[in-house]
Amino acid sequence: MAHTRRKVVGAVALLSSAMLLAACAGPAATSTSKLTDGKVVIGVLNDQSGVYKDLSGPNSVIAVQMAVDDYKAKYGDKAVATNIQIVKADTQNKPDVGNVKAEAMYDRQQADVILDVPASSVALAVAKVAAAKKKLYMNVTAATTDLSGPTCNKYTFHWAYDTQMLAKGANGVVAAGGKTWAIVYPDYAFGQNMSKSFTAAVEAAGGKVVASIPTPFPNDNFATFITKAQASNPDVIGIMAAGGDLINFVKQYNTSGAKAQLAVGLMFITDIHSLGVDQFTGTTFTDAWYWNYDKKNRDWADRFLTLTDTRPSFAHAANYSAATQYLEAVQRAGTDNADAVVKELEGKKLEDLFLRGGEVRADHSVIHDSYTAQVKTAAQVTEDWDFEKIIATNPAKDAFGPVNPECKL
Amino acid sequence: MTRVVHPRTFGSDLNMTAFIQYTVQGLAAGGFYALAALGLAIIFGALGVVNFAHGSAYMLGAVLSAVLLTTLNVHFWAALVIVPLLMFAFGILIERLLVRWLLRLDVLYNFLLTFGLSLVLVDVVKNLYGVSGLPYEQPAGLQGLIHVGGVTLPKYQLFVFVFSVLVCVIVWVLLTRTRAGMIVRAATEDPDRARALGINVSRWITPVFGFGIAVAALSGVLAAPFRAITATMGTNFVIILFAIVVIGGLGSILGAVVAGFLVGLVEAYGQAYAGTFAQIAIFILMVIVILVRPAGLFGRRDAA
Amino acid sequence: MLDIAGLSASYGEAHVLNDVSLTVKPGEVVTLVGRNGAGKTTLLRAVMGLHRDIEGSISFAGRRIERLSPNARARAGIGWVPDDRGIYASLTVAENLTLPPVVHESAWSTEKIYEAFPVLALRRSSMGTQLSGGEQQMLAIARVLRMGSRLLLLDEPSEGLAPVIVQRIAEIIREITTHDIAVLLIEQNVKFATTVADRHYLLAQGRIVETLDNASFQAREPELLKHLGI
Repeated sequence: MAHTRRKVVGAVALLSSAMLLAACAGPAATSTSKLTDGKVVIGVLNDQSGVYKDLSGPNSVIAVQMAVDDYKAKYGDKAVATNIQIVKADTQNKPDVGNVKAEAMYDRQQADVILDVPASSVALAVAKVAAAKKKLYMNVTAATTDLSGPTCNKYTFHWAYDTQMLAKGANGVVAAGGKTWAIVYPDYAFGQNMSKSFTAAVEAAGGKVVASIPTPFPNDNFATFITKAQASNPDVIGIMAAGGDLINFVKQYNTSGAKAQLAVGLMFITDIHSLGVDQFTGTTFTDAWYWNYDKKNRDWADRFLTLTDTRPSFAHAANYSAATQYLEAVQRAGTDNADAVVKELEGKKLEDLFLRGGEVRADHSVIHDSYTAQVKTAAQVTEDWDFEKIIATNPAKDAFGPVNPECKL
Repeated sequence: MTRVVHPRTFGSDLNMTAFIQYTVQGLAAGGFYALAALGLAIIFGALGVVNFAHGSAYMLGAVLSAVLLTTLNVHFWAALVIVPLLMFAFGILIERLLVRWLLRLDVLYNFLLTFGLSLVLVDVVKNLYGVSGLPYEQPAGLQGLIHVGGVTLPKYQLFVFVFSVLVCVIVWVLLTRTRAGMIVRAATEDPDRARALGINVSRWITPVFGFGIAVAALSGVLAAPFRAITATMGTNFVIILFAIVVIGGLGSILGAVVAGFLVGLVEAYGQAYAGTFAQIAIFILMVIVILVRPAGLFGRRDAA
Repeated sequence: MLDIAGLSASYGEAHVLNDVSLTVKPGEVVTLVGRNGAGKTTLLRAVMGLHRDIEGSISFAGRRIERLSPNARARAGIGWVPDDRGIYASLTVAENLTLPPVVHESAWSTEKIYEAFPVLALRRSSMGTQLSGGEQQMLAIARVLRMGSRLLLLDEPSEGLAPVIVQRIAEIIREITTHDIAVLLIEQNVKFATTVADRHYLLAQGRIVETLDNASFQAREPELLKHLGI
């Protein structure tokens, strides 16, 4: 534990000294800069202390710092953004807090872009702030399709995944014989959105949803719901809960002796790590990115490991990608002027660590290849965090839902 | 006349099986509640402390089990003994260093103290072990299912119910058959009167506090293989514990145990037959009990 | 045995006792007489250490005790029979009896107790509150006898009891005082008070207004009763 903490302290010290150096180097560079205020400020707004701390949190800031370092190394003297600062804030996963923190980031800390923002309700609140302030916002960790639907706007991009992308995983399960589904979902915005997307996906693939069971949120007692789901005798039980609720469900599912196949709607690698691979063995789900997929991912994950002492979630990689593509767009535009940067992103095909076959769609949903992952057996796990076997790669055009007609840009 | 076999016959068999399963699930959930509420009631009775940190004791019980498993390879069966002992010592420390100094003041002070303490403990665990939770294996011998009279039941849930009943019975015997238990009962019922009868109540309340914490931690150990082991797992749990103690009657140990199992059943039946309404059902039960019997199911009028 | 000097007690702003001084000698039975709210129960609670917001001195057996905890006072030999009898509902009769420690060699054995109170022997395994009011009162007194307390603080022992039982309690009080046990008694039942007591303190609005021996109390009984509103 002391070892871990030393590493975190080291990473933070590195980070702050980098920021300090950047600040010192600032004034000299401003004379020739085309930046609106002499610097580029990247705001990481996320959950620094609550349920999403591990899968996003402080390590998202480190991923963004990695993107900044890579940008500097790549362009050296030719870099348009010579003075880059990273600021961070905690939303506590509350929309009102997120709203205030986003305003403060754009106004007081002069952030040019805000990244990350988990929790759908907070993400939607920040989208409204971005639209009002006419500043960029690249959401990474929220799942709601509304970001590229009713609340879409010129300055908001939805980067990594959404409920429709997750639901596409149902295709493979139905095709493999999982025709009848019981869907268990937490009865709040995220769960309802997930349930809707999955029901549509299962039916589109020729399957049938035989039971749809809402549960309280949060909840630590799922035994009864599992018995209820079993009563309809489905091939597959789809669980749409996230975080602690997901872990509660799976532990209790595994003691219940239920025979249906378990499909998990949204799973982060941190969930597998916290529950142990045994409890999830064989479960399939849709992943947006996996650290041990190829050498490129693995090399980056090794760098990440030295800085954080842990492996990255797909959200960490997606934050790296968003920060990288933002800086690339600034480089192409030759300025950090928000409208110019948006122009450099819209309609572009993008390729990086996270985005394979990436494309910024008309509704500002950034689509890319997704992966059908299966949790390994304990015997197959050769090193810590190596929990997933990628059984299929889904090309970007099939991996996401259609362009949202509700979005008018 | 031809005998008509109603299709319903088959359906009602299925319903009966499901009902028995719900009942066992409710009693298992009740086992977690009963143990923790037992500790809460003992602490409230003997010290007059509304221990908000009780949820944290439950959480620490589970977290310690997971940490001991991964670092020292202490398995579930050993954790059932070791963790409560460690938490007993922890409880004694908390009582000696903190709670004791506020006992003479209004109950609100210790309520706020233990509330603050729970926030600190949650954040310490978050800092040490993160927020996504800790892994735990299924204990040997308790995996899988058991068939009882045509009904299939998960072994672990049955175990939680039987084990928690057993612990409650042991506590009951200790309380009713030993001199220490007699003194604790007296101090719980009216500490001032016990003092006036020459009993050094303050010497007794330290181990009693430790005991209450230890039982809550035991509930946490039972939860480790069955629930998500996270820093916040006790945060909602403690709210339900308060409802249970109110339903059972403040300061009534038997009441806390009975109400614990009752609330587990209400939760299970609520979830089974009324969906997401289940969590409200507990508080509706609480309101009804307060209206009909203000002192709780087993509370004495003068204790209310 | 008990010496109180200049005792004042208050509940926050409200003064309940004002400069009270009294003594109870070994073997003596002394009553506190006064209207409800005169401060009688507070005085007993202050002696027991259960009411701590006090000034003045309290000495027991020649030793200052006002800083001692209630359990230390009980162990020193003060026995309290509260006005609600103080029987534990969750304890059996036998447990109620043996709960407190024995504090003096003159303590009654349980055999002697059961001999003196046969009804308690019969009901020894009943729960405390299953007893009738009179039985509870006997149990409360038996409990301090078993402790061997040297000073008994009795708060309305005859209240609500049948005359035969009141009679029995009076006999017991007379018997124990022959063993140098002192009794400080709160009593509304004047007949009972005058049967057992040696002296009477008249308490009004937290002050001792008069001290009378039993003979003069009886002589002025009608006038005093009117004055006290009893």
